Amino acid sequence: MESTNTVSIKHLDKIYSNLLKEDTVALKDINLEIKNGEFLSIIGPSGCGKSTLLKVIGGLEKPTRGEIEYLDKENRLGFVFQDSVLLPWKNVRENAEFPLVIQKKQTKENEERLDALLELAGLTEFKTALPRELSGGMKQRVSIVRALSYDAPLLLMDEPFGALDAITRDHMNEELLNIWTQTKKTIVFVTHSIGEAVFLADRVVVMSTRPGTIKEIVPIDLPRPRNSQTRNDPKFGEYTGYLRGIIG
Amino acid sequence: MKKENKLLKILKGAGEYAFSISIFILVWHFYVRWNDVPEYILPSPDKVWVSFVDLFRTGTVWPHLWATTYEVVLGFIIGSLIGMALGYLFTKVEPVKTALMPYLIFLQTAPKIALVPLFVVWFGIGVVSKIILIITMVVFPVLSGMILGLESIPTDVRNLMKVLKATKWQVFSLVEIRYSLPSLFSSFKIGIVQAVIGAIVAEWMSGKQGLGYILTYASSTYEVSMLLAGIVLTIILGIVTYEIINIFENKALYWHESKE
Repeated sequence: MESTNTVSIKHLDKIYSNLLKEDTVALKDINLEIKNGEFLSIIGPSGCGKSTLLKVIGGLEKPTRGEIEYLDKENRLGFVFQDSVLLPWKNVRENAEFPLVIQKKQTKENEERLDALLELAGLTEFKTALPRELSGGMKQRVSIVRALSYDAPLLLMDEPFGALDAITRDHMNEELLNIWTQTKKTIVFVTHSIGEAVFLADRVVVMSTRPGTIKEIVPIDLPRPRNSQTRNDPKFGEYTGYLRGIIG
Repeated sequence: MKKENKLLKILKGAGEYAFSISIFILVWHFYVRWNDVPEYILPSPDKVWVSFVDLFRTGTVWPHLWATTYEVVLGFIIGSLIGMALGYLFTKVEPVKTALMPYLIFLQTAPKIALVPLFVVWFGIGVVSKIILIITMVVFPVLSGMILGLESIPTDVRNLMKVLKATKWQVFSLVEIRYSLPSLFSSFKIGIVQAVIGAIVAEWMSGKQGLGYILTYASSTYEVSMLLAGIVLTIILGIVTYEIINIFENKALYWHESKE
């Protein structure tokens, strides 16, 4: 029976073997269905394996046991890293265009979509700027546009706003929701900020540490579109309070 | 306006150089004059200048200058290519590194000058033994620069290339080489200076061509003003080749923080 979910993970374990020490169980018996078009946040204390799980989903790490099925048979996905990892010698547009160059997909249609994405991210005026001339928030915007440039259905984000200050971070969250609404991607977003997880997600996956397991999946029933007012909603406070309680 | 500023800066820099060198020449001039230093020990600057001009006026210097430049450029290019290839291989294939590194360390720490007589026996007194000496002097710094450059690439850049399903060639040509350029250029600058030293020393020991030969010839005939003119010429050759690398570096690393 084939799943219609974007990603379906069954009984997944990830164990790091070490000849000298005991094996480290990073992930144990992870079962997770990522629905088409949803915004899923993964949260947990450091060392709970949330980044490892994202890397396994992204194909950067191989699972030790278990299976992952993708709806997209070519397994296309975009990855936004904690650091923007822009190539310092390329300007904003060239960085965003980089995946199209790698995959030899510089069609007129793709180039036009790229320009539209740059516009959406407010980067049109900075197309020819080099990364060293940009602020942290700007760099991360470019990195998000780059991950979206080749129109993969799934976007994986590993604490992308972790290094930004609180005010910039709130802005980026609102912009990300805007981009998500317009592009209709499935997003998996790893964070250690409870407020960020609640603000963004349809569902929040709470992980616990050693071994990394899923403790609970909390659906977030806050109205959309969400904006700066959402954070003042009493229900927003209830969710963050509840999550803080189970993370412990 | 920006361009004018740049020109002004260059002129100012050149002026400072000229000033500093003039002071040095003046001190030299008066030292020789007041102390009656004999010409076969230290000739005055104007005598050196005359010898220097003579070298060019009579045309004797050209084949020598050409020979040394040819050895330096060719040895540097071959040595750099070998260094880069080895550096790449070392970071990609661990066993190769384990197998070859001891020999390279040995070659690097051994006084390579001592190998010149051996090279002469093996490769003759011609240009080949000189170029081989230069290569041995250039390979190691470039190899180190290449390894340092490749290891400086952030893990997530490699992850990005993996997510994008880039081919090995794309990773090499679009990312690895570019990331290695800053440390490669530092090593090229060390390499080119080494190459000039290697060429001059090799020419002292064998053959009848090159600036090194002019130096030994002038020394053995006590023509100290010609010897000093030759030294000045080797210094100029060193500076010019170094500056050429500098120009390439500024073009290639326009994006680097050091060029802001």
